[in-house]
This record gives sequence, structure tokens and C-alpha cells, in this order.
Amino acid sequence: MQALLSFDQAPPFAAPFRFFVTAPVFAILAGVLLLSSGPELFASRWTPGALALTHLLTAGFMMQAMLGAMVQILPVVAGAHVVRPLRVATIVHAAMTAGTLLLVAAFLSYTPLFFGLAAGCLGLGATVYIGATAHALYRVPSTTPTIGGLKLAMLGLGVTVGLGLVLAISLGGSFPMPLLQLANIHLTWGVVAWGSVLLAAVAYVVVPMFQLTPAYPDWFGRAYSVAALTSVALWTAADLAGWELASGLLSGLVVLVAAVFFYVTLKIQRKSKRAGFDATQRYWRMAMFSALAASVLWLVARSVPQIGEWHGWPLLLGVLLLVGGFMSVIVGMLYKIVPFLVWMHLQNLGRGRLMAPNMKKVLSERQMVRQMTAHFAAFALLVLAVFWPEWLVYPAGVAMIAANTWLLYNLLSAAGVYRHHLKKIEALLVAST
Amino acid sequence: MAGDHRRCDDLFVAVEKAVAEGAWVRAVTGFSQFRDSMLRHFAAEESLLFPAFEERTGMYMGPTQVMRGEHVQLRQLIASAEEALRAGDAEAYSGDAETLLIMMQQHNMKEENVLYPMCDQHLDDQGAVLLPGLRDAVHDLEPAG
Repeated sequence: MQALLSFDQAPPFAAPFRFFVTAPVFAILAGVLLLSSGPELFASRWTPGALALTHLLTAGFMMQAMLGAMVQILPVVAGAHVVRPLRVATIVHAAMTAGTLLLVAAFLSYTPLFFGLAAGCLGLGATVYIGATAHALYRVPSTTPTIGGLKLAMLGLGVTVGLGLVLAISLGGSFPMPLLQLANIHLTWGVVAWGSVLLAAVAYVVVPMFQLTPAYPDWFGRAYSVAALTSVALWTAADLAGWELASGLLSGLVVLVAAVFFYVTLKIQRKSKRAGFDATQRYWRMAMFSALAASVLWLVARSVPQIGEWHGWPLLLGVLLLVGGFMSVIVGMLYKIVPFLVWMHLQNLGRGRLMAPNMKKVLSERQMVRQMTAHFAAFALLVLAVFWPEWLVYPAGVAMIAANTWLLYNLLSAAGVYRHHLKKIEALLVAST
Repeated sequence: MAGDHRRCDDLFVAVEKAVAEGAWVRAVTGFSQFRDSMLRHFAAEESLLFPAFEERTGMYMGPTQVMRGEHVQLRQLIASAEEALRAGDAEAYSGDAETLLIMMQQHNMKEENVLYPMCDQHLDDQGAVLLPGLRDAVHDLEPAG
């Protein structure tokens, strides 16, 4: 009942916003890493540079943005309120930011102490976050696919971070662990059981509502999150038990299940009733195409071993999934969330006496489309850099820095509009008292 | 009531399409229809559904109060968008319309996921009395709709 009575107490702007502006900083660091490591980074997915880069994009960019969005979205879609949102956000943000930086430093320097500290920080951040969210969601019945999906995604995040901690601790302490096998399990839980389940849970709501498409089919809403989590869990069990045939078939199933999500989303987006595609819609479509391409390529590589042996293969899939897929869809959603939050808070603070600037005055479509072009250029260069690292790793790094500096600038300029208008409101209120 | 939300969405889309095609007259007419439907929907909730809910549950300062506050904001946005439309300012309209769309959708989501289920639960026995009234209030200008 507590959650319902406090119905509209939207968390303060600062709670989600700190996550949103930290995300592009990690992507800028990823660009810097590309420049400093050079072509060697692309020698294999296991190079320290490639591991550091992956975690700058996942534990850095993806997780920051997704955590921030969750703080905001839970009350609206589930009526679930995190208790003391600002305090939770402060602790989680600090722990995750420090933990990710330490983890990246650990990969690059191979210092056991850093692995231990990173595990401590990330473990703390994840525990506080999952604890606070689980507490908020505990009494909310899973009446919609979104609420059910959010709960399962929480579980996916928990397992991903848990496995990450085991890996970091064993790397730091040199314990005898099947590291490569565990790393594959860790990344599958991260990408499918957490990333795709969370994205799908949010997609059921935001794709039909903001892009005015038909709803996702009922069977999809009912089945996706359960199918994704179950197939990942079964594959994990088969892989750990060493059943090669079962593990091979089940990993194919995992990819197929995820591919269905990307395909269904593309299909319903084609039926959008909106008059034209805006930056958010184009970002969504690029993300779904790119993720679907990654799924198809994975299946091809599995069936044609000669191709699958190429060392660049996992790197290509990583770029398609993380940069083309998750990063694109996240930026696209930030471009709706941030201007709307600025408007909403200003409108509430103005108490009807001063109209807040509308979303496109907070952040213009032109600013968003230009940044999107830079992001797509960075993505294309990264894809090509997998094939020709000597030539393209530097332009790709520069493009990555440019696109994300631009994103940071766009987000900060939206915050600038907020501060500027807030001063006007304060002046008005002072004048009228 | 959730069905009426969808009907308002469709009216919104018709205006957006008209603006994109530069058909200003059609856009202004369409917007009036959209505005009327929205205002009727708010009025039906504020005069029938919310008071019944408040009386039954004793929650006067709870979700219904928040929804009333959002209705005020939505009314302001509708007025601002209509002004931009009448002035033929496509850019100002598109900004207001985008804000209105998101405000409207997240408002609908709260009502459909939280408030309406609570109403169904608490006002179950009053359905026979409340529903015809709500239906009439939402559709009073177009009995065929």
C-alpha cells in the first residue's frame, strides 16, 4: 500500500541523471583505449585491451544507463518505489563507477589488488541495487509481461555480476578455475538473461506507446523472458556438465530465442503509425538490425567451422551487439527520457505559473540526429576495424570519442536548460511572495 | 476506459499525419476532436470514477489526487499545442505534441496498471451503476463512437 500512496513521487532529477551522464564518459574512455592500444587490441577477444574495452561498454556504458533508467521507470510501469531513491542512487552510482574503473585498470595492468577491489565495489553496488529494487518489486504482482520481465532481468543481472566476481577473484588470486568457460557463461547471462530480458521488458511498453506500433504479440510477451532465462540456464548446466552435444544445441536455442525478439520488434516497428521516423526510432531500428545480424552471423559461424575459427569473429559479434545493438538503443531511449524528465520536473516546479519548455526545446531533433550520425559512423568504423585493424582502429577510436563527447554535450545542454529555467521559476516565486 | 485511451491515441496520430502532410485545416479539425475526447475522458474520471473510488477507499490524497494533477498538466499541454497549431508553427507543435504524447502515455500507464485495477477491485459491486455513466460521459457527443 505504501508504494501506491506515494504513487507519483518521481525520484529527483539528480537520481537518474548522474547515471545518464556517466555512461558517455565510459564510452569516451573506450575511444581513448582504442587509440592507446592500437591494432593489437583486435588480435583476439582475450587481449587485455579487448577485455577492458568490453567492460567499459558493458559495466560502464550499458549498466550505468540501464540502472539510471530503472530508477525512473519502476514507479511508472510497476507502481514500485525504491525507498530513498537519491541515497540508493548515490551509493550504487559511486560503487559501480569506481568498480568499473578498477576492473578496467585490473585488465590493463593485471594487478591482483585491482581485481579484488573491483570485485568489492561492483559486488557492493549490485547488492545494494538488486536489494533496493527487489524490495520495491517484492509485493508487486507480475500482472504484465513488463513487471515479470523486470524481475527476471534482476535475476539475470545478479548471476552476471556473481559470475563476474568469481572470475575477478580467481584472476586476482590465481585460483584454478575454468576461466574461459566461465567467461562465456558470464557473457551469455549478461547479454541475454540480463540485457535482452530487460530490454524486452521495457520494449513491450515503449515501442507500442511512443512509436505507436501494434502491441507485441501476446505469446511473445508471455514467453520471451521465461524462454530466454530458461534456455540460458539449461545451456549453462549442460556446458558445466560437459555434455557437448546438448550444450551445442542449447547455445543455438539461446541465440534463436534472442533473435526472435529482434525480429518481432523490427516487424512491429514497420507498422508504426507515426508520421516520420525520429532519432529514437532510427536508433531502435539500427539496434534491432545490428543485433539480428549478430545472431544470424553466430549461427552461420557455428555451422561453418572454417569461418568460426577466424579470430576476428567474436570481436565482430561483440561490436554488432554492444555498439550497434545495446549502445544504439540506449542512446535512442535517453533522447526520450532525458528531455521528458527535464520538462516534467520543470512543469511540477513551475506550479502552472510558468510553462516548462517542451521536449524539443530542451533538446532539439537536429542535435539528436547529428549525434546519431556520428554514432553510426563510429559503429561502421569499428566493424571495419575488426577486418583492417592497422588502418582503422585509430579513426574508429576518434569517432567513438567524438560521438560520445557529443552525446555528453547533448545531455549536459538539456541539464543546462533545466538549470536556466529553474532560475526563472525561483525568480518568479520570489517576486510573487 | 483503457479502450478510450486507445481511441485518443488514434485521434492524436491523425493530427500528426495531417501536420506532416501540411494539411493544416485537417490538422486543426482533428486536433479539436482529440482535445474534446481527452477533456471528456478527464471529466468522466474526475466527476464519476475518482469520487466513487475515494468514497469507497477513504484515500482522498492518494492516486486519484495525483491523476488530477496530471490532468491539469495535460490540459495545459493540449492548450499550448493547439495554440501552436492554430499559429501554423510546425516546430513548436511537434515539440508540444511529443511532450504531450509521452505525458499522456505514462499517465495512461499509471492508470491502467495501478489505478484501474484498484478501481476494479474496490468498485466491483458498483459496476452496474458506474459503467453506463462513464460510457455516456466519454462518448456524449458521438453516440456512434
